[in-house]
Amino acid sequence: MIPLQVDIASILLNGLQQGAIYALLGLGLTIILGTMEFLNLAHGALYLVGAYVGLLVFRETTLTNGLLYSFGVTTIGFDGGFLAALVVVPIVGFGIGLLMERFVAEPFYDRPETDQLLVTFGLALIVEEIIKNVIGGNTFQSIGPQTIFGFNVSQPVALPVVGLFPSWRLFIIVIALVIIAVTWLAIERTDFGLVVQAGTRDSEMVRLLGIKINRSYSLVFALGAALAAFAGLIGASIQTLSPQIGTDRALLPAFLTIVVGGAGSVRGAIAGGMLLGVIVSAMTQTYSQWAQIVLYLFVALMLIVRPEGLFGSGEVGE
Amino acid sequence: MSDDADAVTDGGAVAESESAAASGGSGLASLRERDDFVVIATAAVLVVFPFLLIDVFGAIGDLTGFSIGGYSGLPSLVLIYGIVVIGFNLLLGYTGLLSFGHAAFFGSAAYSAALFSQVVPSPLLMVVVGTLVATLLAWPIGFVSIRRSGVYFAVLTLTFGQALYFYALGPGAWLTNGDNGFSDIAAHGLFFGAIPLEAPLTPLYALNSYTVIYAFTAVMMLIAVWVANRIINSPYGLIFEALGENEERVEFVGLNVFRYKLMAFIISAVFAGVGGTMFVIHEQYIHPTTGLYWIQSGDFVIMTVLGGTGSLVGPVLGAFIFEYVANVISGVSLPGIGPIGSLWRFVLGAVFVFIVWVFPRGVYGAAEDLIGLVTGGGGGDDGSEPAATDGGEAE
Repeated sequence: MIPLQVDIASILLNGLQQGAIYALLGLGLTIILGTMEFLNLAHGALYLVGAYVGLLVFRETTLTNGLLYSFGVTTIGFDGGFLAALVVVPIVGFGIGLLMERFVAEPFYDRPETDQLLVTFGLALIVEEIIKNVIGGNTFQSIGPQTIFGFNVSQPVALPVVGLFPSWRLFIIVIALVIIAVTWLAIERTDFGLVVQAGTRDSEMVRLLGIKINRSYSLVFALGAALAAFAGLIGASIQTLSPQIGTDRALLPAFLTIVVGGAGSVRGAIAGGMLLGVIVSAMTQTYSQWAQIVLYLFVALMLIVRPEGLFGSGEVGE
Repeated sequence: MSDDADAVTDGGAVAESESAAASGGSGLASLRERDDFVVIATAAVLVVFPFLLIDVFGAIGDLTGFSIGGYSGLPSLVLIYGIVVIGFNLLLGYTGLLSFGHAAFFGSAAYSAALFSQVVPSPLLMVVVGTLVATLLAWPIGFVSIRRSGVYFAVLTLTFGQALYFYALGPGAWLTNGDNGFSDIAAHGLFFGAIPLEAPLTPLYALNSYTVIYAFTAVMMLIAVWVANRIINSPYGLIFEALGENEERVEFVGLNVFRYKLMAFIISAVFAGVGGTMFVIHEQYIHPTTGLYWIQSGDFVIMTVLGGTGSLVGPVLGAFIFEYVANVISGVSLPGIGPIGSLWRFVLGAVFVFIVWVFPRGVYGAAEDLIGLVTGGGGGDDGSEPAATDGGEAE
């Protein structure tokens, strides 16, 4: 029999790791929703792209089907290692975000919310299908490295109370928390963040003050996309990759996260992500069959009891 | 803004005149005529549909070398999804609520009907039971979800649907057979098993495309169209439409917004329940992914929007396009590119994005506009009601 505090400690640590990914996803979604009042159902597709770009940069992958395979390409990727992926993936995400804002989101800012949901839903479908058809619909191994920054992260590390814990997961927690903290600081403590926050409240007023809010919009969208892609890379380093992960592991959790935390709230996305992460981790370690059910019912309950979320104003997204 | 006001006052006027008609005025005949027309036209299409899809398209396919003909189960499948999206459109197209959880009603009806068939293997009673379960489920889910709007409503319906999906997949496997899918469906034929469902409707070889199950589904479809048409053209349906255009206004008039939204939700779930039951009778198999997963809900959304919200015909057209692309076009082989195969979802996604972008009123709405353009505004009169809905949305 394992002592109770060990269980609790490992639940919290696993929850932190899962929650960090949810928080990254929710953060990206919530700043886009909060600033532009744009609902992006393609957020999961950005996670998916992040994961697959990570895969390509990280190692050479042998293809077994898909369009590329039928054209005679049997291996793709650069064998660049995880550090390279850590640099490339957010940049790619950022670039896609810029393009998406310009060519997809902008024409839809003034259209009904339902249209925004529908067009991004279709876009997510397209991205998933492109990856499925070009690279193949099969499942790829996760892309966790052996060493990073000279540290060996392939072995578990002994922690107080918890005992052995995979050191790679520990590294993920640290790096995700750093990124979350940087994003939080960028929005709470910089001039750019101030404009973004003001835009959330009243974008017209900001425009009247002579601030080019459209430029900030592009940046926010790109930042959100980069965060989602980064989450995809982190997720792919511990879980297998397949074209479905965009919706299953990213889009739905991201929406649950911001709904729990409060749509448009940065603090809410972080807290909501962590809370959901701990719930999933606790249920997985105890009654794993019920983990997803409890997760969804918890969110439903949350929406009924506290519709504005943990930190939300209740105005965004209605 | 003035447009909006006009639309609402208009709606009120129509509602009055129609309720007057219903109480025995001279307008009764015209309403009846309209009803009759819709039902007869639908019946006519249902009669020729399998022949067109299987025999005519098949013959064209044989001539051109592209296999574009439908297989024998396809007409029924199109109608089954057609029934679902007719109801879904009442919610999305008229009341303006986007649900991402209607698979819950589709799937729960399918599962409960399948389980019920082991006790009483009557297809008709299966429809009754499946629909009843979907309705009873829609009541609490709707009651809770309707309180929120916009993305919160979408997420709430999604969470309930997903909770059911994971239940059917995991802890509920004793009931649903989990990931293996449920195939012990004991539905015997119609009329106490006298007429097997898979049998051809007539012994004539030329009419082989017509099966008993198709006739059964077609009758259900006819009922669905009739009911939906009655709802849409009733004062009750006009309130749904008004809700989609301007909820506050409806509230100011003194109507109970919550009640009408809940009814729209439940009515749409009834259609999904009928569709779900027909699906399981038709397929003889149900799996959590085909029945309850949120992608299925998303497919309902795609069909409805693709065909065109806010009209009776649009969503059914969408269901046809969706199923035709999924089941027939996916088997077509293009010169130079090769078989479309698994690319069908990509093609569909691209078409969907294009439609949402360029024709927010869907394929049917676009066709209507085109006809209106060609006949010099003649079609405008035809599409006055959907046009009013759209005017409100576009603002």
